[in-house]
Amino acid sequence: MISFNWRVDWRKVLIPIALSLVLFIPGCFQKEPSKFAQVQKDTTAKGAEKAVAKDATQGSEFNKFFPADADGYDRVFSQEKKGFAEAKLNKGGKNVAVLSISDTTSLPAAANKYQKSTEKLGGFPLLVETPLKSTGVLVKKFQVKVASRDASFTADNRMTWLKKFNLDGLSKLK
Amino acid sequence: MSKPIFEAVDNLATGGITVMALNSLDFVIPGQWQNIVGFENTITAVTGTDDAEYIQAIGERAVALYNDKSQGYQTAMWLYDTVDAGSSALGAAAMASKVGSSIPLLGFLNNITPKAETAQTIDLGVKLVAEIVAYCQINGLPGDSVGDFLSALMDQYSGPSLMRMSALICFDGLVPLGPDFIIKAIDGLSGMSPDQLEGNKTFQGIKDVIPGGDSGGQLGFINQSMDSVRGWMSSFVEDRGLSPEAVVGNLRGFVEVADDKLDYLGAFIDMSTNYYSHTGTQTLARSLIERAAAEM
Repeated sequence: MISFNWRVDWRKVLIPIALSLVLFIPGCFQKEPSKFAQVQKDTTAKGAEKAVAKDATQGSEFNKFFPADADGYDRVFSQEKKGFAEAKLNKGGKNVAVLSISDTTSLPAAANKYQKSTEKLGGFPLLVETPLKSTGVLVKKFQVKVASRDASFTADNRMTWLKKFNLDGLSKLK
Repeated sequence: MSKPIFEAVDNLATGGITVMALNSLDFVIPGQWQNIVGFENTITAVTGTDDAEYIQAIGERAVALYNDKSQGYQTAMWLYDTVDAGSSALGAAAMASKVGSSIPLLGFLNNITPKAETAQTIDLGVKLVAEIVAYCQINGLPGDSVGDFLSALMDQYSGPSLMRMSALICFDGLVPLGPDFIIKAIDGLSGMSPDQLEGNKTFQGIKDVIPGGDSGGQLGFINQSMDSVRGWMSSFVEDRGLSPEAVVGNLRGFVEVADDKLDYLGAFIDMSTNYYSHTGTQTLARSLIERAAAEM
């Protein structure tokens, strides 16, 4: 007698279906990877290069080359890290610009961009970055920048304040 | 490994109890805090650029700086996250119970335990110290630079940092401790024993990074910190005419609570919000982005 075994072993059917769903569904809902996922991976990998170079100059060394309060603007130091110092320029209690000095040893690309500079300030290459509303000058390995943080602070204002830095003094810093 | 900085900023809440509670403090610092959410949005808000290449370059430098542990940003983030006792579960349950635009607090009284005054006093002191240490980590000053912190508080605190201090004063000072919270906190802390401090959960969470060595020395540092900001805090409260009633009045825009249950309101805000972590992430992102933009 021929008999058909119609009994289906559901486990054999369901497990592959469930497994494929488990693998498939998250794929459908997975967000596009962030534009910063690669740099996150690179900078957290074992033995990854540090963001700040070991031999970068301490930020405290830069403070004395910053301009002082002037023309109704208050200069308030706000960050002092290895390879970096920053001060805010405030007028009437409102932040209008940011002044900074950084050591490009940690980020050589920052120094390299001055190769396209066509102007100079005190003999040092000068660069205006319009999308960033900032003007910078490269003094040896140090980048000095003034960036506008309010529409009232124009490109001319940035130039005026850049000139107030002690660029010659900074150029002698090792 | 800590969460990537761009994810932390991208995942900041755009609504919910934390944001509603912070918005209720707009009367304290009108128009000075906007809930800016998203890493790229923050880059644009800080630098004013909407150029995709610059945003990418600034973002990449900011991520790298954040991941360099020697730079202190991760310690600051950990501090902001750790001092927040907020439970997202309670917050979510409260949001789900909303009737119209209000949360009826009555339904949650069983889940809320108001803190004893001593515990609240320690919380206020510990949160203040967390702010000082995080400020120093972000800005690169030695961790015990109370003087530098104080001048920054007076000259530079704005946006999310000023909002965090407003919330500290209102939600951890005025509402739970009353109009004379500064005196209460200073008296309470100066009469406290190191053992009492050791028994506090908020202190336990961050004690490893509080300057002072042992708990006796750390209590001293907390006292010194409270004492140095008392003048600033008093003026902040007086200049704006702040009172527990004013804060509660604004909170009532979204929480329904009976007058005899106001101590529950303080505990509810404490337990259902993460305002330190929320505004701390915003503060940290801003500093990081300022630096990245300046260095690139």
